[in-house]
Amino acid sequence: MVLSWLFFLPAEVLATQLHVTSEGIITHQVGHLFFLFSMVVLIFTITGKALDTQKGWRLIQYSAIFFILWNLDAIGAHFLDNQIQAVKIENISLGQIRVVTRNGSPVLAWIYYGLKMDHLLCVPAMFFFYRGLSCLVSAQQQATVKKETP
Amino acid sequence: MIVSFIPILAVDVAGSVAMVVIALLCLNKARRLREMDPANAVFLYLLWISTGFTIFAVSRAFGHILRQFLILTSNAEVWHTIAPYSGSVNTVSFMLVGLITLFFKQSWHINEKILSSRKSLEDTHIKLVDLNQTLEQKVVARTEMLTSSEHKARRIFEQSLDTILVTDEGFKVSEINQAGLALTGYKKGEMLEKKMGLKDFMTKPSEWERIRGLLEVDEYILNEETDFALPNFTQVRVLITGGVDYGAFGCGKTFHFIIKNINDKKQMEQQIAQADKLAALGELSAGVAHEINNPLGIILGYTQLMLKEASGFEEDLKTIEKHVQNCRTVVSDLLTFSRKGSLEKRRLDVARTIDNVIKFLSNHTDFRKVEIWQGPLPRQSLMVYGNEQELAQVIINLIINACHAVGKNGRIEIETGETKDRQVLITVKDDGTGIRKRHFSRLFDPFFTTKPPGQGTGLGLSVGYGIIRRHGGDITARNREKKGAAFTISLPSAPAEEKEGMGRTQGPKGNRRDIQ
Repeated sequence: MVLSWLFFLPAEVLATQLHVTSEGIITHQVGHLFFLFSMVVLIFTITGKALDTQKGWRLIQYSAIFFILWNLDAIGAHFLDNQIQAVKIENISLGQIRVVTRNGSPVLAWIYYGLKMDHLLCVPAMFFFYRGLSCLVSAQQQATVKKETP
Repeated sequence: MIVSFIPILAVDVAGSVAMVVIALLCLNKARRLREMDPANAVFLYLLWISTGFTIFAVSRAFGHILRQFLILTSNAEVWHTIAPYSGSVNTVSFMLVGLITLFFKQSWHINEKILSSRKSLEDTHIKLVDLNQTLEQKVVARTEMLTSSEHKARRIFEQSLDTILVTDEGFKVSEINQAGLALTGYKKGEMLEKKMGLKDFMTKPSEWERIRGLLEVDEYILNEETDFALPNFTQVRVLITGGVDYGAFGCGKTFHFIIKNINDKKQMEQQIAQADKLAALGELSAGVAHEINNPLGIILGYTQLMLKEASGFEEDLKTIEKHVQNCRTVVSDLLTFSRKGSLEKRRLDVARTIDNVIKFLSNHTDFRKVEIWQGPLPRQSLMVYGNEQELAQVIINLIINACHAVGKNGRIEIETGETKDRQVLITVKDDGTGIRKRHFSRLFDPFFTTKPPGQGTGLGLSVGYGIIRRHGGDITARNREKKGAAFTISLPSAPAEEKEGMGRTQGPKGNRRDIQ
């Protein structure tokens, strides 16, 4: 009954908070930080459990390192363009862009240009993760064979 | 600053595709790991994180490629509309990956517990298998031991020459071996059907009460002597040892008995005691007879001298002479009973001796209307080595006793035979009153008689006993199963070579003599 009343007779709810547009980028940045933090935890957990002696887990540690670097890259890029809007890109043609920095610093422009190629970090991260899993599969197969062999 | 867009575009597009491809490959590897060990929580964790990476890679690739496409196709406005959604999905996807990653430690702990539990289970399983195998081996070994033990016990039970009897709490027979069946004369089925108990074998209720009392107080009996009554109305002397068994494995209380037949032993002991007693009596009788015989001779001599002269006391002297003669007869019998020396002996045909005795007795008035039946004779003559006169005297005494036992219209049977151990048997049976149990031990005692005073001296059987013993034989008495008594003389058979050519012409059929 109460639910029906709330559904069919809506009214202004003054208790809810209004969100500004900058919340999106901050949330995204917090997400990156959370991802980064989880990767740090993963690295130390693997070391703490002495799993880094196994090749598979060692590769997963490398993957985590690359993901940390990727997160730092992404956080930096988002900070420059979305958060403080110190840099922006303008398309000139199909093959050229203009990197505009607020203070006109070419160094900042080049840094931003490098940060934009973040796949150079996340693809190796995924690749190391894949290699790590492949090694774990091989190790598990060997263990199974060894177990089944009397 | 104007720079080339190509490197950024190439890295963005190729990287996005590569991310998706590698993420899918990771997902496949994680799935294989999971299939290899479904119980492994770390592998499950890797599957989750691979799934997260795949979602992350797909959402990111979708966003990046679409963005580049829309910008390059001058649709930047469209991208600006989609961008918040794409970014949000991308944010959620890598936060999801981060969140899953944080659970690695917990997944590891869970997996360690699972592995520990699995290890523990495997160890327990190995121990159980080992225990099971050990148990099976033990069971096999114990079963073999039990079978062997049961076999031994069964053999002891079945092969024992003594009776082994098992009864229930109420002393009813539940198990009995072959020796027991032979001793009691019953069949096992009959015993079980009639629910016979130990009590039913006892001759006297008081004897059973005594034995049961001992069992109730001491829970065992040791070498208790008693008599068992057999179905053929005879008795057998037995020695009982037994005790209670409270059983095991839920079995009820039972009693186990070992019963030994000591009848033969007892009879032998009695015979030895009898022989010893008669030997002592013989010694005594010989001494007494020798001392009395000489004075009697003097009295008789003087009496006869006095009778030759007229003295007026002739009647008195004749009375003295008569009684002295009687005394001399008694003394003579005593001497015969105890005589150690040997008279002239020769080979005798037992059948001929019996014939002569019957002919002799046929003139005796006591044998009128008494049927004497001589049993079938063997084809070969039964030859013994002895004094014919003495043996005839023994047979006469036995027949006279039988005649007195049967009274008028009685029947006396005389049977002869030979045992495997070359003993010639002469049996005199009657259908008279039989011998009382208490008289058995005194039958061959000198002067023992059951006849009224004046009708017998009580020396007949003792004299016969002495004669037979001097001939190396034996004489025994028993009651017949139905009625009457039987006396059996047993004498050693004469050597076989001396019997050759002495075949019997008389047939094997019985020979009835009615003495009229």
